[in-house]
Amino acid sequence: MKKAKNEAASNPYIDRMHFYGRISSVATVLFLLMIPLSICIRFNAFPTFTEVFKGLMKVIPIFWTTAILEIITFSPMLGTGATYLSFVTGNITNLKLPCVLNAKEGAKVKTGTDEAEVISTIATATSSIVTTAIIAIGVVALSPFLRSLTSDASPIKPAFTYVMPALFGSLGAGYFVKHWRISFVPIIVAVVILFFAPTIGTGTLVPVCVVVSILAAYGMFKLGWLDSREERAAKKAEKSKK
Amino acid sequence: MDFKTGGFMYILGGLVVLFVTAQSLFFMLKAWKHGKKIGMQKSDLVNAVTSSALFTIAPAIAILATVVTLAGTLGLVLPWIRLTVIGNLMYEVTAAQAALDSFNMNFGVDVQDPKIFAAIAWVMTVGSIFPLVLLPFFLKKIQQKIGQAASKASDSRLPDIISAATFIGLISAFVGNALAGKGTYNKATNTLTPGAGIASVSVLIISIVTMIVLQKISNHFKLTRFDPFIMPISMFVGMGSAVLLKHVLPSEIFEFEWRPVAQ
Repeated sequence: MKKAKNEAASNPYIDRMHFYGRISSVATVLFLLMIPLSICIRFNAFPTFTEVFKGLMKVIPIFWTTAILEIITFSPMLGTGATYLSFVTGNITNLKLPCVLNAKEGAKVKTGTDEAEVISTIATATSSIVTTAIIAIGVVALSPFLRSLTSDASPIKPAFTYVMPALFGSLGAGYFVKHWRISFVPIIVAVVILFFAPTIGTGTLVPVCVVVSILAAYGMFKLGWLDSREERAAKKAEKSKK
Repeated sequence: MDFKTGGFMYILGGLVVLFVTAQSLFFMLKAWKHGKKIGMQKSDLVNAVTSSALFTIAPAIAILATVVTLAGTLGLVLPWIRLTVIGNLMYEVTAAQAALDSFNMNFGVDVQDPKIFAAIAWVMTVGSIFPLVLLPFFLKKIQQKIGQAASKASDSRLPDIISAATFIGLISAFVGNALAGKGTYNKATNTLTPGAGIASVSVLIISIVTMIVLQKISNHFKLTRFDPFIMPISMFVGMGSAVLLKHVLPSEIFEFEWRPVAQ
């Protein structure tokens, strides 16, 4: 019975993406480890194990815990292919995830479908390529001007300083209008948390807000607060029949 | 010639660019082929590429700016490599500072010792690769659990509501930050990240209003081709409004924050 259930849930495309994703993850780990190793060999500079370990002990408890939370929180929103690719290319919360949400909203696809898988993978891949290109071009060609462009004295500096409210304001607008009833609770909770814990990192705040938002939406759904006028009328009629 | 920005480092950077681009193209190709196979319109796939590319430009420039932030200590190439694969600014600065602690140094100094530079590269790399070690083992299981939970739901609307609530939760954290977040001052890099105040709330409201107005116009005149551009345009309008307000408003008003951070 259990086997039959699993077979029914299996999707050849998703299975293939898992296969490619596993290969790409392992390949990336090996490739990344080659970078510090080649720096050591090229410059004949070998830090001691203790020197590296002391540094690692300060970041591993925070970043490895965050990694577990990020995988659990983001993978359902991203989908299979996009999750593997996003975790390779990084900048997930500030770029890849909003980009995927925007593309899925634009294509009007439903999360969990093959169409959503396709759109999110294409969005993540495009975003990764464009980001890689912009950073590479910027570093190689624009490095002499870059400092002046983004320096405190630059007239367009505020545009970069306030990129996050601009990004999440425009991204959120569509969701807030469409799902206004379930939007209040997580926003209010985020503001209250920030009021009492102003230095909480966004990386910590995101999973908290996601859990609160899901629980609140589920509660509202169960209480019938998300029903349309027609649904409410139908439920009322059914009740009076009984 | 500084070893941090020598030819060897640029070769490493080039290899990283090739590696990431090849992987992205591979996944995109597989998704594109599957999209065609299941009958998706070519225009939908092209729109996903266009809107994602436009969407990415501004945040990518912001990431490029963070490369510059790190460059004073690590040169341009290592931050470029790190922010192209896995990295983000908060993690990279923390990892670099953690490694520098072992040598009683602070972020902000120009690292000239290749041994310290190598130690920083190791800490940045090993500290960040954990998700890639976890994903091959756990992603499929996580997705199966979520799939089972969704199929158990008695009402077909529930998975959609939960999905929307998940997105809204994520967005709320950032909106909350724009409304009530406190700024931070990083002594090591001497950088001040402003908190919530008149500027952040104005930019937030302007981008929300622009997005809603443009969506209404697009729906009213049935401008479906314009749809992929609405979100990036709204974002640029929001960013542009920050520049405009900075030059129009008196600085004490523009820079007013609910809870200013002490430097």
